[in-house]
Amino acid sequence: MIAPTPLGTSIESMHIALAGRRLPDMARTTRVIASIAGALLAASVAIALLASLGVTHAAPVYLLAVVAIGMRWGTLPAVATSVAAFLAYDFLFVQPLYTFTINSPEEWLNLLLLLAVAVAIGRLVAIQADHAEQVAQRAREAQALFGISRALAETRTVEEAAPMVLERLAAATAMDRIWFGLGPTPADEKTIADTAPREPLPIAAWQVVLQRSPGDEPARWARMHLATAMVRRKTGRATVHRVRVEASGETLGSVWALRARDEREPNRAETRILSAAADQLGQAVVRDRADQERTMAEIARRSEALKTALLDSVSHDLRTPLATIRAAAGSMLDESVAWTAADRREAFQAIDAEAERMGRLVRNLLDLSRIEGGALQPELEPCDLDDLVQQVVKRLRATTNKNVHVDLPDSLPPVLADQLYLSQVLANLIENGIRHGGDTINVTARQLKDGPVEVTVEDDGAGVPRAALPHLFEKFYQAGPPGEGKRRGMGIGMTVVEGLTRAMRGEVSAGRSDLGGLRVNVRLQPAFVPEEAAVPDPRGDRAEAEAGLPGTATR
Amino acid sequence: MNGPTLLIVEDEEPARRALADYLERRGYEVYPASTAHEAIRLWDAHRADAVLLDLGLPDLDGVDVIRRIRREATTPIIILSARGDERDKIAGLEAGADDYLTKPFAMDELNARIRAVLRRAGGAGADPAGCLRLGPIELDATRREVRVAGGLVRLTPREYELLKVMLSNQGRVLTKARLLRAVWGLAYAGESAYLHVYVNRLRRKLSAAAPTGSLEGLIETEPGIGYRVADHESRSLRTEPRLES
Repeated sequence: MIAPTPLGTSIESMHIALAGRRLPDMARTTRVIASIAGALLAASVAIALLASLGVTHAAPVYLLAVVAIGMRWGTLPAVATSVAAFLAYDFLFVQPLYTFTINSPEEWLNLLLLLAVAVAIGRLVAIQADHAEQVAQRAREAQALFGISRALAETRTVEEAAPMVLERLAAATAMDRIWFGLGPTPADEKTIADTAPREPLPIAAWQVVLQRSPGDEPARWARMHLATAMVRRKTGRATVHRVRVEASGETLGSVWALRARDEREPNRAETRILSAAADQLGQAVVRDRADQERTMAEIARRSEALKTALLDSVSHDLRTPLATIRAAAGSMLDESVAWTAADRREAFQAIDAEAERMGRLVRNLLDLSRIEGGALQPELEPCDLDDLVQQVVKRLRATTNKNVHVDLPDSLPPVLADQLYLSQVLANLIENGIRHGGDTINVTARQLKDGPVEVTVEDDGAGVPRAALPHLFEKFYQAGPPGEGKRRGMGIGMTVVEGLTRAMRGEVSAGRSDLGGLRVNVRLQPAFVPEEAAVPDPRGDRAEAEAGLPGTATR
Repeated sequence: MNGPTLLIVEDEEPARRALADYLERRGYEVYPASTAHEAIRLWDAHRADAVLLDLGLPDLDGVDVIRRIRREATTPIIILSARGDERDKIAGLEAGADDYLTKPFAMDELNARIRAVLRRAGGAGADPAGCLRLGPIELDATRREVRVAGGLVRLTPREYELLKVMLSNQGRVLTKARLLRAVWGLAYAGESAYLHVYVNRLRRKLSAAAPTGSLEGLIETEPGIGYRVADHESRSLRTEPRLES
């Protein structure tokens, strides 16, 4: 514990603390005495000069010295200055000169008046200065706390905010290092943030814990001696301050502050800021927990709903082809029936087609789980739409007797896409058209004015009711009555389309086609393709002459 | 049996048996293996004419098997792998595999691929005069000339090199990185945009010179992997690829 300094006021120590350095008391006293002596000397010289000019009662000049000392050093030095001024005037300017003797009662009165006025002024000035300093201090404190609140408000988690909070704290207190740990006891704490993260946590000789009492009573620091002699030798006078981070009576963690060089207790301002920061952190931790719990509950709820929908969907959509396959295979295994070659062929074709259908469902399920799991890692590169569309259409035409028309302008720029994802998007859209559309599926594309390339897949089927359009890309959404008429899809094809398109930084939208059915637009970014001249061709000219004629670019 | 010999490496028993049955009926002599070690043992003992290799093996990485075989021979290797394993496929192709098939695949497609790689291994492609031919395309390496259906096509040196690499690898799948390395050099292995520009231009020029105005199927994009160069015979024999390919 430190003894109160003789001249110290709370304001004084706050000031020093905030400046981050602390002068030894002796030095301070010396400086106060020196400035008093200087001020009085200057005033005495001024009075002497005025006297030589014929001004007799110039004693109030000393008041200026008192004001100056009062503003700079506070009440006590100002009073001391007043007394010294009284004595100096008596000694220097009152008859008989150079003695402390006073002859006339009139001079006595003058001198006492000077003393009284000097003390009063000194006191007023000092209070004024105190007040100004206090206001400035409060402003700094408020600013620091505001910064801490903002850091907590602007970030999503305490972990994210903590480094900024500690930075603010370090700037507003004279602490050498501040760190923040979360855990019910110091031993269990996990350090979340640290102003000196690379250094090991210190072993201090002293631990000082802030004892906070409910209500407005000021908090107190309670010192605990932790150290063994060895630790003390190692860390010298270092003191670690602990402020518990609490919320509704539960200890969540601590804000720790290390003062390495002296054992001075944190002053009131530091204490206020540390404890306010700890409170805010506590609130934020509680908020974080609540958020987390809400999210977990929401995820649990959704995944439950999804699981049910998935099971329904999978059991229906995988069973249908399985049933066909088993029926066809079972028929072929039945040796009591004499199957014709045509019968056999038909059965095996059915098996093949249904197996393929199951494969498609499994592929979409796999993609869906990747989309859901955030495991998509698209490899975006320039892709030729024409190339990919033709490939996909060629594959799909083999499975249907519907007309798939492709009309892509030659001038289309390459798009930025992952070839596999884009193939899958196109295949899902065209398959959807084949499954739900009428006789015709159109695949077109155009470049929009502002750059993106829009691929459109539309059909002449019954389409999707306007009210259902916004839900088209939702998982397991089925337009129209489920399980009726045409074979149902898994309801995930469109979700996969959207997920993959987004992963490629594209957009997908649905509407009504002029053909009568569904129209889906997939908008993709055009790819930047290097100018031909920019593509290095270091083996250049020599070979050019041999290979053919120069100037062969025929774009 | 006098047919070509095949080493089939597949750890799933039903799949291995189905492959073996089908290919034996097709006249191949088959050595089935269920692990990488068994595969290497069979390879050392029999030196099959071609290898069908599932990359997901219980004991070793299939790519190690490819490297092991490639240390000793240029025997054609076809990777059999599930969808979504593009990285593995690329690793396999980079290690020296010739082609890949994505499971599930159709048997007739597999048969067509095996025949294509066997033809290539038999030295199809260049004739003694150093001419590479594919469909109507003819590349004369001694004169550095490219003709389509007899008419000279003007190509830049880079396009010529690209075409030459492709025509030298008929019936194979070439990864993007491999083409970039072969034509542009090691430093450009990541610049797939260059390749895109050049392949497109090459296709355009060659198609424009073809009598039908199209060379469909000669240089096919393998999404996510690279390019497949057809060989003349496989193009006419090949059935429509299945939906899952």
